[in-house]
Amino acid sequence: MSTLHVLSHSPFGDDRLTSCLRVIGADDALLLTGDAVYALQPGTVPCTALNARHPTLFVLAEDARARALEIPDTAKAIDYAAFVELSIHYDKVNSWL
Amino acid sequence: MKFAIALFSAAHAPSSRRALLFAQAALAGGHEIVRLFFYQDGVYNASAAVVTPQDEQDLPKQWRAFVTEHQLDGVVCIAAALRRGVLNAEEAQRYQREAVAVGAPWELSGLGQLHDAVQEADRLICFGGA
Amino acid sequence: MPKSLLIISRQAPWSGPNAREALDIVLAGGAFDLPIGLLFLDDGVFQLTAKQDAKALQQKDLSANLQALPMFGVEDLFVCGDSAAERGLETTGLALEEVQVLSAHDITALIDRYDQVITL
Repeated sequence: MSTLHVLSHSPFGDDRLTSCLRVIGADDALLLTGDAVYALQPGTVPCTALNARHPTLFVLAEDARARALEIPDTAKAIDYAAFVELSIHYDKVNSWL
Repeated sequence: MKFAIALFSAAHAPSSRRALLFAQAALAGGHEIVRLFFYQDGVYNASAAVVTPQDEQDLPKQWRAFVTEHQLDGVVCIAAALRRGVLNAEEAQRYQREAVAVGAPWELSGLGQLHDAVQEADRLICFGGA
Repeated sequence: MPKSLLIISRQAPWSGPNAREALDIVLAGGAFDLPIGLLFLDDGVFQLTAKQDAKALQQKDLSANLQALPMFGVEDLFVCGDSAAERGLETTGLALEEVQVLSAHDITALIDRYDQVITL
């Protein structure tokens, strides 16, 4: 079974991203929403960690746009309709509340 | 596809807005929402006592309109709601409190309703935190 | 077959009602005879520290509730070994004896095994 992991907290000063990258499986994916999109900030420790683990990566487009963050080629920008479809494509959704 | 949507954050949290937009997109995509379950600070989303400044998004009001329009099953965890002072008329009377914050379309009930929704739905989606 | 649910508890025990409210989901599931698992991750491992004194903070004793889990039919109890090690917590002599210590790899497999997950 596959899992869509969803993060919404900033990766700076928080261990959710670290723990998530530690347990994410090969068939899983990661969706960055809210302040979690700051993990895309180039040249930072979270961005390097994300790139090193390189999970299948999705980004909620409005959250990146609001924060003036560019979505890299390694990630796919999605809207809410696509978020719904992703949650169906994967067998379960694990939101790191 | 049947969704159960659980919300754990207060109305002013960005995650509560994402929960509403997800729920709207799920229905727009032709899917079913078997239940909305508000737990922890999520209970504040059902409060009619929240006053939002006029130029800001009034999430409790939008939730109320959304649940009413689509006749959804909106359940607020009773234990979490009591702890946070989000009472309906029945509970206010039971505990002799003056403030009533929750009415229709919301129903106060127990955590069993969350488990029941998990059993009935194909997917459980949780929103909360930041 | 009822769907199985894994609760991942990440909050320290004295940081507000979150740890208790996560546990309440587990206990409610156990009361309904549902297949429930509980994993302590990140600061959640501090819930398992032995000899905590709830009275010092005028709180209810969370570890008493934890020890009641097997009585509620919740026997799938896990702790993240990495989280415990990072926090200097020995995994012997924890407040919950029945807990299984898991590696990151084990946790990937654990999440995979359950139908749905709630991480609090």
